[in-house]
Amino acid sequence: MTSTTGLIGYCQPLKIHGDETTALKVSSNGPGTCSVSALRIVCGDIDPDGPGAEFEKMDWGGASGLHVRHQPVNAGSFAFAAAGPDTAGAGTLRISMNVWPTMTRGKRQCILHWGALRFELASDGRLQVRLGEMAATLERPLVKRRWFQAELDVAADGLSLVVAPVAPCAVWTDPSRTHAPRGATALPKAGDPIFFAAMLDRWQGDVPFVADAYNGKIEVPSIRVDGRLLAQWDFSREQSGTRAFDAGPDGCHLTLVNTPMRGAAGSNWNGSVESWMRDPSQYAAIHFHDDDMTDCGWKTTLQITPPVDAQSGFYIARMTAEDVQSDVPFFVSARPGKPKADVLLLAPTATYLSYANTHIKFDSHNTENLYEAPMVLSEDELYLNEHRELGLSQYDTHADESGVVYASERRPMLNTRPGLYTFNYLNDTHIVKWLEDQGISYDVATDEDLHRYGRALLDPYRVVMTASHPEYFSTEMWDALYGYQQDGGRHMYLGGNGFYWRIAWSDDHPGVIENRRGISGVRTWEGEPGEHHLSFTGEPGGLWRTHGRAPQVLAGTGFSSTLFVRSTYFRRSEDSRDPDLSFIFEGLNSDIIGDFGFRGGGAVGLEIDRWDADLGSPAGSVILATSEHVGLGGLLSGEEYITTTRALDGVQNGRVRCDMVFFATPKGGAVWSAGTIAWATSLLWNKGENSVSRVTRNVLTRFLDPTPFPEPVAGGYARSSGPQTCSRHESTATSD
Amino acid sequence: MLLYDPDNATYEIDGTRTDLALEYRDQLRGPYSIELQRVLDKMRSTPMKGRFALVVVEPFRKFALARLSGERGVPPEVVDGVTYASIAEAEWDIFKRRWQELTGRELDVPDP
Repeated sequence: MTSTTGLIGYCQPLKIHGDETTALKVSSNGPGTCSVSALRIVCGDIDPDGPGAEFEKMDWGGASGLHVRHQPVNAGSFAFAAAGPDTAGAGTLRISMNVWPTMTRGKRQCILHWGALRFELASDGRLQVRLGEMAATLERPLVKRRWFQAELDVAADGLSLVVAPVAPCAVWTDPSRTHAPRGATALPKAGDPIFFAAMLDRWQGDVPFVADAYNGKIEVPSIRVDGRLLAQWDFSREQSGTRAFDAGPDGCHLTLVNTPMRGAAGSNWNGSVESWMRDPSQYAAIHFHDDDMTDCGWKTTLQITPPVDAQSGFYIARMTAEDVQSDVPFFVSARPGKPKADVLLLAPTATYLSYANTHIKFDSHNTENLYEAPMVLSEDELYLNEHRELGLSQYDTHADESGVVYASERRPMLNTRPGLYTFNYLNDTHIVKWLEDQGISYDVATDEDLHRYGRALLDPYRVVMTASHPEYFSTEMWDALYGYQQDGGRHMYLGGNGFYWRIAWSDDHPGVIENRRGISGVRTWEGEPGEHHLSFTGEPGGLWRTHGRAPQVLAGTGFSSTLFVRSTYFRRSEDSRDPDLSFIFEGLNSDIIGDFGFRGGGAVGLEIDRWDADLGSPAGSVILATSEHVGLGGLLSGEEYITTTRALDGVQNGRVRCDMVFFATPKGGAVWSAGTIAWATSLLWNKGENSVSRVTRNVLTRFLDPTPFPEPVAGGYARSSGPQTCSRHESTATSD
Repeated sequence: MLLYDPDNATYEIDGTRTDLALEYRDQLRGPYSIELQRVLDKMRSTPMKGRFALVVVEPFRKFALARLSGERGVPPEVVDGVTYASIAEAEWDIFKRRWQELTGRELDVPDP
């Protein structure tokens, strides 16, 4: 069998415009040489029972006989200065800090490494200070997820360590002390590098590779020599940046590597504030993880530069060697302000990043229940399980069980390419193929383009399409899309569970998105108290819904339920009979829409949305069609109910449904929303001859027509009378 | 912080209810009766350590039965000599194995 992991790689940056260059960075797990071809993806779904994979080979971006070798990954977040503070011949040293360990068993973890001095958590959870051969070890292990104040002294008569819980706990009330003779080893000297949260293993050029990375928080570390303050790092400052600020006399600022978590609640956090912006002094901690990884930092194997007129779209660099074929995704984006078509398809790269390299099949107890089928493990997934150094997804928890808040494109993303992972990326290429099969000229841009260029990106297009699962939106993205809609734009939403989580991008952290899961929504982990604000921007994280911008505001419909076991179909509503809406249903000979598809056998499935005026579905929005027979497989999302009840499934609960919605917007614009992920994966059924394709085509044709839609306030459409659900949720078999 | 409870599924499967097994066999992807759904919920909530899963041997054509290690980074252990030509075939076999493990009774119903 051809291996998909014999070679792995990433393109940096993930998206470029025509005539810009992306650097392909390859690591080999075997082959010494490889060939590379650039392919444009028409359809990336390789399932022989699917719509048919289709790739177009480019006459640029290829190379053969490329020498490749294994490139290591420096996983684990840490802080360092290549030259630490200058001790200038001092005789004594005192180092203080607070620590909140999140893993207290199983491995040695280094909290501070400076010259011959190490401050560590031993594999049994006991704190230890070592200077050369001498070591002083505390008698009792630390308690996980508790704050401890540690003070270590190096004096003429020896090493000593005093540790006390910041808040007394049942098993530990008084300070613990330990002492050891000092030995002959000298104190750290001028020029010695200093590392927090990991131990320097080796330098590779000017890049430090580390070992024994620490899991947990560190707060207010300081160093005194002979009673004089030498350094005092204030992690409450520059929370959005990439360095740790030294408020001491010499300003020995630290570089942060692999994006440890900022905006972390400190030892004095007392619940009076929820944001690090509000009272930074309660957020003077950084949370490090031994599996943080936001930049592999690999050397470039090949520069890929499309021609200036390259078609925008989904691309891969296909690497081949004997018995190896492995793809690396990149995107060529339309240049803002220079459209080549009337339609723009937004590739939801924030979604791709968030899901990239998910490990939930191995780590998350509820995954099989959620997907309602045994986990099927591909070569890529088995590889990722064993190679945690490639970084986690925002669906994962770290090894210390805290949630993953940062996700980066600067690493191989083995589930964001043609293969066996049938969510998001692959599904969106169904839309690409449908556009091509329909002969529709279109441009492609990414979420990052939308974030960066905003309205300037969208405004030239008659129609903007969002894809199967545009789940992650920054404020800038939201504002741009909403502004476009309100200014006469036409938006088609071909998916489900869109516009759900509020994320941030940062110029300081290129290629990285931040997401805080908070305490609501369908989520695979829950955030820590007080840590729901984004460190990149200071904005509250979590669901857009909790910030007054439920998905219904943008799309008329918003996430209600998961439906993974078996998809279902839509039935047209009575409200859709309005003659002004007849354009949507032209050519259909049935009220049933989408009782077929490549994911679960229907167009209503995976994740589904519903109309709700109270959550922001606009006045004048119309439910065009509603799902039927969702059944027990449909499960209501947590934010959709208040007091607990057994009635949370598609048999009993009327909110477990999918609504297809249309509404007009000011200045002649309009929005049409499918509200289901499986819509996109039904477009190509029967070679595109089907009701899903027909409705999509009808809407697109009208949306391309510049004739304005009647202003919503002018009463072009009746306000929806709401879903007619009660009789439509029987658990009996469907008509398909 | 809220973590998963590995022992969250407490439902006891009645090993004499072979009617539910037949219902599953004939309708693998549902819709399920509420009683069958409870059986499946229990089966799908078994502890991660030792949980049955499938390893792709040949994409879309051949799958090997395996048990998850329940430990980060530790690969699943393939069950010797058990492969399937389709996911549906595997789902039914895994159902039968889980029935045996959870009820102590071999599921004595004809295969599809």
